[in-house]
Amino acid sequence: MSALFFLQQCLIGLTNGALVALMALGYTMVYGIIRLINFAHGDLIMLGACLALTLVGAFGLEAAGTATAGVATWLGIALLVGLCGLFCGLVNVAVDRLVYRPLRDAPKLAPLVSAIGVSFIFMNIGLFWLGPADRSFPQLLPTANLLPGEGLQFGWKDLLVLVVVVPLMAALMVLVKSTRLGKAMRAVSQDETAAALVGVDVDRVIAATFFLGGFLGGAASVIYGLYINTIGFQMGFQNGLYAFTAAVLGGIGSIPGAVIGGLVIGLVRALSTAYVGERWAGAMVFAILIVILVFRPEGLLGRRTKEKV
Amino acid sequence: MPILEVNDLQAGYGPITALHGVSFDVEEGELVAIIGANGAGKTTLLMAISGIVPALSGAVLYRRRSITGLAAHVIMRQGIGHCPEGRRIFSRLTVQENLELGGFTQRDRWQLRRDIAEACELFPVLGTRMTQVAGTLSGGEQQMLAVARALVGRPKVLLLDEPSLGLAPLVVRQMFDVVGSLTARGITIVLVEQNARAALALAARAWVLEAGRVTLAGTGKELAADPRVRAAYLGE
Repeated sequence: MSALFFLQQCLIGLTNGALVALMALGYTMVYGIIRLINFAHGDLIMLGACLALTLVGAFGLEAAGTATAGVATWLGIALLVGLCGLFCGLVNVAVDRLVYRPLRDAPKLAPLVSAIGVSFIFMNIGLFWLGPADRSFPQLLPTANLLPGEGLQFGWKDLLVLVVVVPLMAALMVLVKSTRLGKAMRAVSQDETAAALVGVDVDRVIAATFFLGGFLGGAASVIYGLYINTIGFQMGFQNGLYAFTAAVLGGIGSIPGAVIGGLVIGLVRALSTAYVGERWAGAMVFAILIVILVFRPEGLLGRRTKEKV
Repeated sequence: MPILEVNDLQAGYGPITALHGVSFDVEEGELVAIIGANGAGKTTLLMAISGIVPALSGAVLYRRRSITGLAAHVIMRQGIGHCPEGRRIFSRLTVQENLELGGFTQRDRWQLRRDIAEACELFPVLGTRMTQVAGTLSGGEQQMLAVARALVGRPKVLLLDEPSLGLAPLVVRQMFDVVGSLTARGITIVLVEQNARAALALAARAWVLEAGRVTLAGTGKELAADPRVRAAYLGE
């Protein structure tokens, strides 16, 4: 029984962690390319969740019913993911163009503080959009257990997280590894000047990176709404903090690192909630972060040393 | 008609002006050298031509058209390659990936493959290191990779910044042999070097840069025989 309980917690942790990882990618990609910690990313995800909620109402997805996850519901969710991804991607590109690009050659602190400013602006837009109280996000998927037997619970919502997160991450890895854009991104991340000298349009590559990070954040916002079922204008802060922690834990700048960091955080949070108590979950996550960073300051998959010059 | 013409160019980093009005020109297919001490502005000059460092005043003309103020990638795409000081290879990528990035603007994959093969003919050792991570190459190999990467971009004019810096004497000779052979391939070369002797031996014409200004100009032979150059740069 206790083994089953443990397994159940791991399942919960991994599903939650996949969601954290999706959010962490936005931090790690932007950091990887311009060494900026984009503090507004969590609040961008919150804006995505606002749009998702508005769209659920506009499409009448709730009326489609939750007893059966019909084709219409799944198509609706796919559309939500696409639209919110597009929205967050474009907002992210706009912020880069208007706020971060003019500060590209400024000292590092200037864009960092601006990112915090953007975060507050987003939060206020969210406050205007959602109102001050938390809003419940409709349950679009049935609650039935997909696994046989009584022991392990794995519902449609959990499945949803996996069917969205896994393909998106796989696509991202392929994009970075083998497309022209991915090569340009890796070049810019290592040496902007050298990249420009081989003909890479650096500003465009940075914009594309903001778009991709934002798109993944937008997708994450839809999953978050459907999975957690509560959204609010302040959700960006805490979720952003966990996601950012995941990115640092995995080694900020590293895409596989963000994924692993997200999964680790999901697991730690679920296991400490189950075995230590929910109020300690956050403390446990950050305690582990501190311990790991003491022994591996570059994160789990980060690069240990500067390359030879 | 010069393929590249620099007129009274001033440039610098932030408040510091490193170039105080430099002029020179290169004919198509010519190899010219810019020599000078450390900090004379040689690297800034090349960076300003490539659009990495903004020009404060003056002009850079490529085939008689001004390219002053254009973005670096646009200038590169017009045919001005630049092998920067300190190599600046992508050290975490493989040799193959570095060379492919050199041909980033080449959309034709077969042509890119041919260009990479051609660059590897000049530096055969690179061909044997294709899957190696570039940062683990020796200094000489990294320099070869940097030059090869620039060549894969099929430049009409190649700006070469200190290709011999920090290399073993034998590798230096090999590098200058390759540099000297490039004009036969129709590539115009602007060579910036501290190794004045080797540079002047190769260069049809050369300019001496001191504190951001041209102080001497002439053919490579003239400058190599000039007593001031001999005293200051040839160690005689």
